[in-house]
Amino acid sequence: MTQFGFGAVTLEHENTGRPDSDTVDATLAASGDASAFERLYRHHVPRIYSLVRRMVNDDDADEITQDVFVRAWQKLGTFRGEAAFGTWLHRLAVNVILARRETLGTRRKRFLEGDAVLEFLPARKAGPELAMDFESAMERLPDGAREIFVLHDVEGYRHEEIAEMLGLATGTSKSQLHRARLALRRHLER
Amino acid sequence: MSDPWMERLSDYLEDDMPAAERLALEAHLETCRDCSVVVSDLRRVMNRARQMDERQPHRDLWPGIAKRIGATSAGAQPIRRRWSFSSPQLAAAAVLLMTFSGSTVWLMRSAGSLPADGPIAATAPPPATVTAVNVRRNAAENYAAAVEDLERVLSAGRGQLDTTTVRVIEQNLAVIDQAIAQAQRALLADPANLYLNTHLAETMRRKLDLLRQAATLVPVS
Ligand SMILES: [Zn+2]
Repeated sequence: MTQFGFGAVTLEHENTGRPDSDTVDATLAASGDASAFERLYRHHVPRIYSLVRRMVNDDDADEITQDVFVRAWQKLGTFRGEAAFGTWLHRLAVNVILARRETLGTRRKRFLEGDAVLEFLPARKAGPELAMDFESAMERLPDGAREIFVLHDVEGYRHEEIAEMLGLATGTSKSQLHRARLALRRHLER
Repeated sequence: MSDPWMERLSDYLEDDMPAAERLALEAHLETCRDCSVVVSDLRRVMNRARQMDERQPHRDLWPGIAKRIGATSAGAQPIRRRWSFSSPQLAAAAVLLMTFSGSTVWLMRSAGSLPADGPIAATAPPPATVTAVNVRRNAAENYAAAVEDLERVLSAGRGQLDTTTVRVIEQNLAVIDQAIAQAQRALLADPANLYLNTHLAETMRRKLDLLRQAATLVPVS
């Protein structure tokens, strides 16, 4: 007999029973609605800009943030609504940042071996005027250790994902993260 | 740092350690003050990292983005007017169905799989000059008429189909009808929702496809 190829048809989306407004705006934006895309921008720019600032740590942050959203606009057709829009955008942002940093002129040595990461940050001095807060200390980590720290501890990516994104061995991601944490513990606000 | 356990403290905190080693480390932590201080600090670092504030850019980056994607600047008209649907939602979804198929040719034009002398006449596409409202009504009427005709074919031919086939068709129709009802309910709360409208149109298309497939099984009498 004839088989009818109809899968289960359902509207349920992440237990809300309703598609979220991001998904709707993404669908509208994919059809060319720039005002829907502006809503997505307003909603997500703090998270994306913060990610860029922490990953890139220089005056290019504004431009790279704009690059992320321009790229998102171009790629909206590939957003299928399977993951949350924010997750999709975040991953796209990481890719843009990683591609972009390669072209960013002179860079500090990306990965410092062993305890060199620890020595990179000046020790927290007793005087408050010399104290460096946690976030500034994080920004002064060597690039490689900082990227891993941001992606893992701030943004919640797994070592396997980070290793793939950065083209590293998982063990390198783990050991650099450990070094970064050891360095930063000196800069915890007491 | 000669204490070899010091290297493993992040693994320990991430629960990335074999059970036996974990037990050994926990025993070590009972006696090694250096390691327990570091474990406590690393925990605080990890918590601190999760509590980072989000920052807004110092200036509005949207105008620059809008320019690069070819949109007018903030607050101005969008590139394409937002869909605005009026009830009935069936009509709206039918319009979407046409729009999304990338053609103004109505689905029934492709009902070639039906028996040639079947009761369904191909419906001409609406002229390009008709107003949007008329297109909507026509599309909805076409859809309703097509479904009705196919249901009549099936109903008449039901006795000539084996019971398993009939059951499969009916089960599938029930699933699809349920999805259509669900979409229509959701649209009552949010009529302009493009996702829902698209979903409804897609589900309606499935129903039509299913009915068309089923109708081809009915022997021409
Ligand atoms: Zn120890």
